[in-house]
Amino acid sequence: MAHHAARIGETLLEVRDLKVWFPITEGLIRERHVGDVRAVDGVTFSLNRGETLGLVGESGCGKSTTGRAIVRLYKPTAGSILFDGQDVSGVEGAALRRLRRRFQMIFQDPYASLDPRMTAGGTIGEPLDVHEVGTKAERREKVRDLLSTVGLNPEYGNRYPHEFSGGQRQRIGVARALALDPDLIVADEPISALDVSIQAQVINLLERLQERLGLTYLFIAHDLSVVRHISDRIAVMYLGRIVELAPSRELNLRPLHPYSVALLSAVPIPDPKVERRRRRIILRGDVPSPVNPPTGCHFHTRCWLRERLGNPERCSAEIPALRELSTGHEVACHFAEDVDGSPEQIQSTGRGGAGTVPGGPGWNAIPGATSSDPGAYDDPLISDGPQPDVQLIPDSSMLLDLPDTRPVYPPRSDEA
Amino acid sequence: MTAVPETLLDVRDLLIRFRTHDGTIYAVNGISFQLARGERLGLVGESGCGKSVTNLGIIRLLPKPAGRIEGGQVLFDGVDLVTMAESDVREIRGRDIAMIFQDPMTSLNPVLTVQEQMVETIQAHKKVDRKAAIARAVELLGMVGIPQPEKRLKSYPHQFSGGMRQRVMIAMALALEPKLMIADEPTTALDVTIQAQVLELISRLTTETETSLILITHDLGVVAGMTDRINVMYAGFIVETATTGDLFERPSHPYTVGLLHSMPRVDAREGDPLIPIEGRPPDMRNEPRGCPFAPRCAWRVPACWSENPGLAPLTEGVAIVGTGPSATHRIACHNPPLPDEAEIGRPTRAGHAPAPAPAGEMDELASMAAIADGVA
Repeated sequence: MAHHAARIGETLLEVRDLKVWFPITEGLIRERHVGDVRAVDGVTFSLNRGETLGLVGESGCGKSTTGRAIVRLYKPTAGSILFDGQDVSGVEGAALRRLRRRFQMIFQDPYASLDPRMTAGGTIGEPLDVHEVGTKAERREKVRDLLSTVGLNPEYGNRYPHEFSGGQRQRIGVARALALDPDLIVADEPISALDVSIQAQVINLLERLQERLGLTYLFIAHDLSVVRHISDRIAVMYLGRIVELAPSRELNLRPLHPYSVALLSAVPIPDPKVERRRRRIILRGDVPSPVNPPTGCHFHTRCWLRERLGNPERCSAEIPALRELSTGHEVACHFAEDVDGSPEQIQSTGRGGAGTVPGGPGWNAIPGATSSDPGAYDDPLISDGPQPDVQLIPDSSMLLDLPDTRPVYPPRSDEA
Repeated sequence: MTAVPETLLDVRDLLIRFRTHDGTIYAVNGISFQLARGERLGLVGESGCGKSVTNLGIIRLLPKPAGRIEGGQVLFDGVDLVTMAESDVREIRGRDIAMIFQDPMTSLNPVLTVQEQMVETIQAHKKVDRKAAIARAVELLGMVGIPQPEKRLKSYPHQFSGGMRQRVMIAMALALEPKLMIADEPTTALDVTIQAQVLELISRLTTETETSLILITHDLGVVAGMTDRINVMYAGFIVETATTGDLFERPSHPYTVGLLHSMPRVDAREGDPLIPIEGRPPDMRNEPRGCPFAPRCAWRVPACWSENPGLAPLTEGVAIVGTGPSATHRIACHNPPLPDEAEIGRPTRAGHAPAPAPAGEMDELASMAAIADGVA
């Protein structure tokens, strides 16, 4: 597997203007095409070898469809998917089957994605059989190797899925994905169905495997805290489009799209002190239908910033393109500059301390920001009794009370 | 200065078992806790820890005939619900104690309009005519933020989105101004921005109406912002109880410490590793013996295998306060993590090694270590 490690940093996957539309038809005898569900509506990103890109968003944002189109479980409606330089978006039949060795998928539900009538060994070995890798004895040996690689007893190969717990089943799913030494693994919500204490086991396993085998991950999840932990870069999706793409740390410290800010603010942090300092941005209503997405910016119907700016025409008229505002940080918002330094942005991150981001115009822009008032928690306004501590327009003075003593870490290196 | 908060709910030594063909399931093993009026309590734990069963026991909705309360009392407003006649419990359920469940689609009747369901609920407990009941339903839907309530009242549940359905559930739960609301994973099925909407709503409405709240969840993040006090449950026992502030300030049971270290946080530092709790929860079909967490615990000492510690104050000798902002921080542990160990998530004291398992006991730590050695 050294060939993966040797090429770390090269571009492995390049997705350009990917569209996946599902037709809606009416009529029983003569089906008429009456519309499309625009699940993925123009998505562009690239992924380097050895890197983890997190794809995050809420149900229906198109993150899973994007992942499935990349491993060609769906046929893209338009756009190109360059995998190691080759466009795989239109490949069919035997050629596609050969390609499939190189990209594998881990699914969400370890209960549904394993055949209950097949032993763990059979499940893990099936890709080897299909692609006729090695002799029978070699395959058996490989299955044992894979089981121990994912932290399962090699003797468990003869057991059936129902004899395993959820976490162990997910390990089987990981082993199956590894069987053919793939370059790319698309992991679609791989831990969402697991209990909290088990989630960490699987995350750590995926991280260790990446280090050891030089794997490249597209990690799809709805949970920003998990994505942040595992990813080098994060793409935030909303209604079929990427609205923001940034290095993981940057996105969590300095989200620049109004939707990313709202999403980040909504993630609960298990620390009541931090929670008290944060203010959630409550988005109104639900995500619009992807059959008739809003014109212009898809998010404009629910955008707090647009409202603040007096509903500018441009939001509903013009589709915002991804713009690079700082190195590697791309945002699809006409008014992203207004997000930077706003109280909403700072509050969403849960870190009151200013000055944690090197550079960044406007980062210290909150007037009266003091970061060294130790008594601020005793403010009767915020600590006395139960309070509905959620409001739309926050008072920024409450937030900047905790000195941020955490060191600034350099971006994580890809080399193990 | 602060008056002693009035106790609304007093659960004493609650014991719940399921007798099945597969054997007995030891679901809830003698737990006790109190809840004051207006207080918001979080019940935290993973699948199978008994948090939902506790709730079903309190409102006497255990699946029959397998599920049975085999001991203890549930004093609600001074009256024991365990021994109460079924017809009286039915009165209390809905009127005094309201429930919100995880999946609003399964708790609403799909073939009735929201109006029919809400009016039925209101009229079941209050002597009002249909017109007044409809007016109340409109008011409630408006309160939970459903646009055009008159029109939406005529809709069927499937015509609402998940978040809207949960709002309907909250409206129905509040219809009769209950004293206690039990929300069992109310936002687990919802997206995170919708979760924020629903939590905000529950928080605001329970505060406004001074309704007590029991919030059952697996998500420590959700309880951090929503509750005054927390019970952490594991394998049918409460292993740690404290005010929300104390619990996060000084988590003191190895399981609580483990949970906090196995969750990634959006505000974590770059490169902070996750420390998983190795192994998996115990099989609830085995009668509890010793501390239920011992097989997965890095802090265990020999006594942990044989003797299950009771809930005791963190600071020895203090009087126990059950509710309110001065509630006593209590844990069930023979060898609690020191504060700096809790901070980094593993035992650091010199000379400590997890006590080996006696013959016949499953040792999750040792089996994980053995596999890890096999890999390397």
